[in-house]
Amino acid sequence: MNGSAESVPGTDSAEERVLAVLRRTTLEIVPEVDPALFTPDRTLSDLGCNSIDRAEIVTLAMEELDIAVPVHEFHQGMDLAALAAIMRKQL
Amino acid sequence: MSGPPAHGRAVVVTGLGVLGAVASGVRELTDALRSGRCALTAPAPPADADRPGVTWPAFTAELTSDEVPGRALDALPGLPEDLRSAARRTALRSPVPVRAAVVAALQAWLEAGLDRTAPPPGRIGVVVAGNNLTERVTEDGRARAERNPAYLPARYALHQQDTDHVATLSRVLGVRGEGCTVGGASASGNLALVHGARMLAAGAADVCLVVGAMTRLSPLQTRGYLTLGAMAPADGAPARPPAPFDRGHRGFHPGQAAACTVLETAASARARGARALAGLAGAAVVLDGNHLADPSVDGEVRAMEGALAQAGVSAADVGWVSSHGTGSPLGDRTEADALRKVFGTGDDGPWVNATKSLTGHCLSAAGVVEAVAAVLQLQAGFVHPDPGLRDPVDAGLRFTGDEPRRARGGFVLSNGFGFGGFNSAVVLAHPEA
Repeated sequence: MNGSAESVPGTDSAEERVLAVLRRTTLEIVPEVDPALFTPDRTLSDLGCNSIDRAEIVTLAMEELDIAVPVHEFHQGMDLAALAAIMRKQL
Repeated sequence: MSGPPAHGRAVVVTGLGVLGAVASGVRELTDALRSGRCALTAPAPPADADRPGVTWPAFTAELTSDEVPGRALDALPGLPEDLRSAARRTALRSPVPVRAAVVAALQAWLEAGLDRTAPPPGRIGVVVAGNNLTERVTEDGRARAERNPAYLPARYALHQQDTDHVATLSRVLGVRGEGCTVGGASASGNLALVHGARMLAAGAADVCLVVGAMTRLSPLQTRGYLTLGAMAPADGAPARPPAPFDRGHRGFHPGQAAACTVLETAASARARGARALAGLAGAAVVLDGNHLADPSVDGEVRAMEGALAQAGVSAADVGWVSSHGTGSPLGDRTEADALRKVFGTGDDGPWVNATKSLTGHCLSAAGVVEAVAAVLQLQAGFVHPDPGLRDPVDAGLRFTGDEPRRARGGFVLSNGFGFGGFNSAVVLAHPEA
């Protein structure tokens, strides 16, 4: 892993792991994202990811974590903490 | 297609690009053509090679790695920073063939000077040669989705379309005129040149990029060609690949390359001060009324004679033929017979060579790769050798063999034939011919 996501209050180590995977897949799909901007309070859109980028990042992250989140659980405008939380539930 | 030479809508070539196993640019391709450097090598046997019924290609010309297009993009001299970053940002997520197409198109774009002066974006078109370009994308996607359908890459719906090439090229280059893919099996390259030239002749655009899409065969497609006996199998292969038209031919050897020609009206080129590298003097496309892999002398003759008639030149004006020449015994024999009918067997007939002897058979891209090679040879004044041709199937035709030759006149006829009875030929002319 290229680094860990920043800690936020109330996150456990599993959620930290999910955030780290999301961070790495984000940088893989959209390398021009400034890594410093990847914080749990931001959305993928805030980082400059378009809708296809966002779907690609989430798909890759699920594959890596070996989980499958039902599509209806994703909502537009979720920040990274919320995204990590719904993925965390499937671990 | 070209009309009289003074006509402003005559079609000229103002830029060339190529990225493949044979070369990463046009200068390197010229060197390979002049020296007869062959990109074909024997691939390693597959892991299950011992299993009964398993077979694989005798020789292939593949990119050494998936990183080749990205490295070629970084190394492309004179590329303005905005184009480089648009290419990186857009094509980084694309399948390898799309990345290769972007690099070949950028090379041609720069040579044509379109980064400095170009018609309005709405007057520039793009035509991509090829069909069924994405089976490899589908096989890769299926492997991921079999674990869980949720893991199908999110770009699959975009990447599985042949038109992803058109879309990505238009995004990188800012092209806003007409765009489409043109499919005609292994004749796709010539068909795309015809479509691009018609776009210009009809006044729908002033510049049209014609891009030959790299065919990157999936395991199933490879097996399909082997099963039909069209592709030369490793089993019983000689140490070196026999050239097309050699009696040792056993089928085609697949090659990977993307290529691009910038077609432009003579008036537009003149107005921009762009140099015409060649003229597209005439072309013809005819069908056989046949859905099999069964070429016909009649169809090939009609394509060649139709292209010559449209160009307004006689068979005696043609200095050399860039043959379709795949190495298929039936295909080579049929084309040799068709060449005899069109050009006779005299000592003053045209030279005949087969670029696939050096590049492998680039399938969808073949016609564009061979048009690029033909223009480079017209410019440099040689006809490339085919070193693997030792024992020709037809002693009456003037195959180049081991040495580069000098062609008379300034016209070359380039053939492209495809499964299902697609016959095509284009006539390219030296700008002073």
